[in-house]
Formats: sequence, structure tokens, C-alpha cells
Amino acid sequence: MDQPNAIIHQPVRLKIMAALKPLPPGELLEFVRLKTIVGATEGNLGAHIATLEEAGYLNVEKDFHAKRPRTRVALTKDGRRAFEDYVADLRSIIGADS
Amino acid sequence: MPLTSNEAAQTLRDITQTERRSAKAYGYNTASPHLMLWGVIWMIGYGIDYARPQWSAVWIPLVVIGSLGSFWIGWRMRSGTARRSDWRHGATALAVVLFVSALFAVIPPRTGLQAAAFFPLLVALFYALIGIWLKAPRMLMLGAAVAALTLFGFFELPALFAIWMAVVGGGGLLLGGVWLRNV
Repeated sequence: MDQPNAIIHQPVRLKIMAALKPLPPGELLEFVRLKTIVGATEGNLGAHIATLEEAGYLNVEKDFHAKRPRTRVALTKDGRRAFEDYVADLRSIIGADS
Repeated sequence: MPLTSNEAAQTLRDITQTERRSAKAYGYNTASPHLMLWGVIWMIGYGIDYARPQWSAVWIPLVVIGSLGSFWIGWRMRSGTARRSDWRHGATALAVVLFVSALFAVIPPRTGLQAAAFFPLLVALFYALIGIWLKAPRMLMLGAAVAALTLFGFFELPALFAIWMAVVGGGGLLLGGVWLRNV
């Protein structure tokens, strides 16, 4: 295993997955908070969220809160498993080389 | 191109860093409304203690209201499948009640002032422990501040302790909640 999951293995998408991983399963994180943690621009973050959603790794919910549009995202079961596999792959690369 | 061992190690470090930042922000945002709620409860409770010391039983409904409020906030803040009750919340509250009851049975407070100072110190201890274990420095600072303010009021302003705790203790929790919300 020399090349881990290509969908996750992209700096912004990796940070999105890592930011959502510590939350309780199914817990949604607001887009604005995710933007602060990841440190990406709105457009860039939105595009990468869409990629992860298409892969079935993220659940995206859009609604209105206090009369303002709100976007929230959460890891899906598949997303959590894929991220755990990705981390395991990274560890195996380190282990294989040492 | 295959990933090298160094690149994999760097990626793992990036992941750990982001996970820590996210967990800390989540913890602060979760704690914030609880702190604000209990800040208001303290202001009311200690305020009544000061104005009408004979009404100290008011703490019972206030604690019940605060506990129900905290439970409601916790449930409301969670979303999606995360919105499930966790028996550990109830078990933790029960353990604290049993501990305090046992402690007071063994070492009963001799004055109302001692009892009034005990609970803020207990709260300060919880904040400090949360801060230490979750590596959340703001919680640790809040715990230290609550403890310091309580001790100052107890030793330096015993006659004004209730109003001191209402304004400085309750106000401090309220401001602490606002402080954590903006992380």
C-alpha cells in the first residue's frame, strides 16, 4: 500500500475529514466553524465538501437558522470508516519503511 | 507517485493537529451555553442569598431548573444521529450528588458561608480537570479564576460573600461562556 485513498489524500479534504472525525457520530458541524478550523476559502471548501459528499463520505444538510441559510456537514459511516482506513494506510507506510 | 514514509508521517501529524483543534473548538462551543446558564443561576441564587438569607432553600428549585436547562441545551445542541441520550450524563450527576451528600455527612459545613463557598470550589475543580484532560487551557483558566474569586470572597469579604459571588462569580461564568463561544 503506497498510495492511500485518493479522495481523502488532498490537503483540504484531509483537513475536513480530520476536523469532523473527533465529533460524536452523526454530529453536524457548521460550515463557518469548519472554515475556521480548515483555514480554506468559502469556495474552495464548498468544492471539496461536494467531492466528499459525492463519494458518500459526508452528509450535508442545508436549512435556515435564525432566518439565515445554514450549511452543516457530518461524517457518514462510510466516511468515518474510509478515514480510519486512510490513517491505517499511512501508519502501514511508516511501518513498512522503518 | 507512491507516498514516502516521511510524507506519511507528516500527513499523520497534520491530521492529529486538525483533530485536536476541532475537538477543542467543539468542547468550548459545547460548554459555552452551560456556563452562561449557570452564571445566571449563580447570580439569582447568590443574589437572593444576600438580599434574603432566610430564603436559602431557593437553591433547590434553581439547581433543578439549571440541571433541566443543561440537559435541554445538551440535547438541543446535538444533531442528527448524535442526538441520543447518554446514560453517563445522569450517572455523573448522580455520582456528584452522592459524593457531596457523603462528604457533608462525614464533614458537615459548620457555617452557611462554608457551604456557600464549597460548591463554587467544586465547580472550579471540574473546570480545571476538564481543562487538564481535554488540553483546553481556557477551561483551566476559568477553573482557576472561579477558585481564586471564591477564596478571595471567603477570606477577605465574608460579610459580602453572597453578593460577591452573585456579581463576580455569576458574572464571571457568564462572561466565560461568551469567551468560549467566540473560539
